[in-house]
Amino acid sequence: MSSDVRFTDFKSDKQPTWCPGCGDFGTMNGMMKALAETGNDPDNTFVVAGIGCSGKIGTYMHSYALHGVHGRALPVGTGVKLSRPDIEVMVAGGDGDGFSIGAGHFVHAVRRNVDMTYIVMDNRIYGLTKGQASPTSRSDFETSTTPEGPKQPPVNPHALALASGATFIAQSFSSDALRHQEIIQEAIEHDGFGFVNVYSPCVTFNDVDTYDYFRDSLVDLKEDGHDPTDYEAAKTVILDADKEYQGVIYQDENSVPYRDQHGLTEDMSDIPAGAPEDAMDLVREFY
Amino acid sequence: MAEDLNWAIGGEAGDGIDSTGKIFAQALSRAGRHVFTSKDFASRIRGGYTAYKIRTSVDEVQSVVDRLDILVALTQRTIDENTDELHDGSAIIYDGERSWDADVPEYVTGVDVPLKSLAEDAGGAIMRNIVALGAACAITGFDVEYLDEALEKRFGGKGSKIVENNKEAARLGEKYVEDNYDLGLGYDLETTDNDYVLLNGNEALGMGALVAGCRFYAGYPITPATSIMEYLTGRIEEYGGHVVQAEDELSAINMALGSARAGARAMTATSGAGIDLMTETFGLVAASETPLVITDVMRSGPSTGMPTKQEQGDLNMALYGGHGEVPRFVVAPTSIDECFWKTIEAFNLAEKYQTPVFLVSDLAMSVTEQTFPPETFDMDAVEVDRGKLVDEGDVEEWLDDQGRFRAHADTEDGVSPRAIPGIADGAHMSTGLEHDEIGRRTEDTEVRVQQVDKRNRKVETAREREEFDYREFGDADADALVVSWGSNEGALIEALDSLEKEGVDLRVLSVPYIHPRPDLTAEFEAAEDVIVVECNANGQFADLLEHDTLTRVKRINKYTGVRFNADELAEEIKAKLTEEVPA
Repeated sequence: MSSDVRFTDFKSDKQPTWCPGCGDFGTMNGMMKALAETGNDPDNTFVVAGIGCSGKIGTYMHSYALHGVHGRALPVGTGVKLSRPDIEVMVAGGDGDGFSIGAGHFVHAVRRNVDMTYIVMDNRIYGLTKGQASPTSRSDFETSTTPEGPKQPPVNPHALALASGATFIAQSFSSDALRHQEIIQEAIEHDGFGFVNVYSPCVTFNDVDTYDYFRDSLVDLKEDGHDPTDYEAAKTVILDADKEYQGVIYQDENSVPYRDQHGLTEDMSDIPAGAPEDAMDLVREFY
Repeated sequence: MAEDLNWAIGGEAGDGIDSTGKIFAQALSRAGRHVFTSKDFASRIRGGYTAYKIRTSVDEVQSVVDRLDILVALTQRTIDENTDELHDGSAIIYDGERSWDADVPEYVTGVDVPLKSLAEDAGGAIMRNIVALGAACAITGFDVEYLDEALEKRFGGKGSKIVENNKEAARLGEKYVEDNYDLGLGYDLETTDNDYVLLNGNEALGMGALVAGCRFYAGYPITPATSIMEYLTGRIEEYGGHVVQAEDELSAINMALGSARAGARAMTATSGAGIDLMTETFGLVAASETPLVITDVMRSGPSTGMPTKQEQGDLNMALYGGHGEVPRFVVAPTSIDECFWKTIEAFNLAEKYQTPVFLVSDLAMSVTEQTFPPETFDMDAVEVDRGKLVDEGDVEEWLDDQGRFRAHADTEDGVSPRAIPGIADGAHMSTGLEHDEIGRRTEDTEVRVQQVDKRNRKVETAREREEFDYREFGDADADALVVSWGSNEGALIEALDSLEKEGVDLRVLSVPYIHPRPDLTAEFEAAEDVIVVECNANGQFADLLEHDTLTRVKRINKYTGVRFNADELAEEIKAKLTEEVPA
């Protein structure tokens, strides 16, 4: 890893087509800065992107990357990381990708505790399809497909993560650049599955969960004296539906990542040019 | 072919039928006899009937037939299920002390052995099946000592006492029959000095994957594919690999895809219901040009169908599954040993052409065990071809004028360079969106056409470079041509042999390559009759071949859930030869 990597090295020459003012700009900048700051470079980084506005991030960043099928970004990231412990894996997707079509994968990725970072760019709306309710939309949020609101409670991603045995749960806000970057850095450095839900406002289709709303309502857990290693305290924060937070909500200091649970150390891309030397032993088993 | 013996043990699920049958099969194999096994699950009556059948000869055996010589019946139903196959030289071993009164057909010799009592004498009632094996040895003139090695293999982990008890149980069974019966049925199993290994199709497939360098497997348990996952688990780790049990098939194929993007040889395997879910990702594998082996061990469908029954109903799914047009390879091994070789080839095709490869097997092949000389699996002949994998030194020639890696470069053969993570300056994105050479989304009409054409060209390149041939058996000049795909080959070869003796000559083509596949136009033109044999109702392969050759074919389709056996196939072929060709 070269020490002179700058965050702009993670930027591709492709100009984003996100709407001007989209939260995803800030989300992505924080990701790039955090990657550079933690000593990674584009050639040892793999970004997996989902589908939706957020999914475009693989194009705007420069690294090894796969832009996959809607909802399946976490399984792809899992496959990359388990095969290549030497590669830094960052998975990014939207709230629909992560908590609706991919909700099943989220639960199991959390359980597995593979050492990778998962960034959810949560704007509480389906933006690319021009404004339908998402799994994190408020129950009275009126959209083209839910004219009177979804009439069901939003998914609480942090609660879902905690219930699934998460070892790192965090919340950031794309507009608070320094704290956002800092939180992602902590997720990268966490030895296990680092989950960061990022409030990344949609300026075009969501006039409720706006920059102003988050600026006015966010409580910074760091300033609030919250101890992220305190499971009970984390539970209280997570289950308090009346407040919005940013910061590391929970971190298990004793996290044992999947790699260590299963003794995975090998670079699986490195294989012999023919059958392994002891291959006839495999045949002899069938005597 | 030398005389064969057909032996079976049947009872309720949970009676240890499989493990008992396997012990006898291994003993026969160790005695230098060929073995072909099959598992029988009754379809006529609901319930737990299960049977393990062995066909054995000193010559190669590769099919079941409809004759049963020795039957170990733990239940009356076992007798009822097999009455049609028993003949006047058959013997049924049963335990007359058990609560049921065995109703043995009058033309069959009943051999009443107190299996449970003798097992108790040897140390425990649980060994009653082993007593039955000893009894079978006495009837067939097979030395009971041949069971010893198989018993050691099966029970060695439980301590020498258990092993010795089982050996004693076998001997008590043998002695009881020798002391109480003078059967004169004339069975006398010859032994040879040949060494054979005994394995099923899923084991061969898993072994092929291991030696081909597969290091990552993700799957979701499903009959009959699970045993591939079970085979790899505990072995792949020895080579630095790993098996993940995913939360569903959607995840499994995407994990495998991720692993392949990271540069590993990766595979997933499932059966029809799981393939339905994985279909979502087929297009992504092809569009992102990811080398991936996707195995479908077919079972009876549609929907949940008959999950433990044979069918070759997924051919169209393998060929056409996924929206849009997905370039791919479809390879269907035709025998158990070919499960090994075709798996290795599938990994090479995947990496050489950076395209999904569908490896299509079926339930019959997955559970059937067959003997082979160990050198059938000649490890020196295993080749690993990783295609256009670039290393640090090669990257530069594939950068565009702005220094960006052309992961989807439009090349003459359609195959682009492949850089895996960690290779300096090779960083690039691949995507399921239509893209240009560097992986950037595009809707430019020219680039769209260029990329579609280059992806399709890879398959055309393979058609030129690879040998996608059929396997041929029988008389090359025969007027009657029989064509098949997948696991029907063994039964066809045996049907061919028996028909030959009756003076009916056949040319048999067994086709392991479904796409691209050999062009059979000339072969069809040279034949008077063409019959296509497959285990499905609609004749999916026959449809393909009619389309290829613009020739109507006769069809033999079986969709009862049971594989073809050589005898019935011979009869059906004879009958078809007298039929008119369909209009």
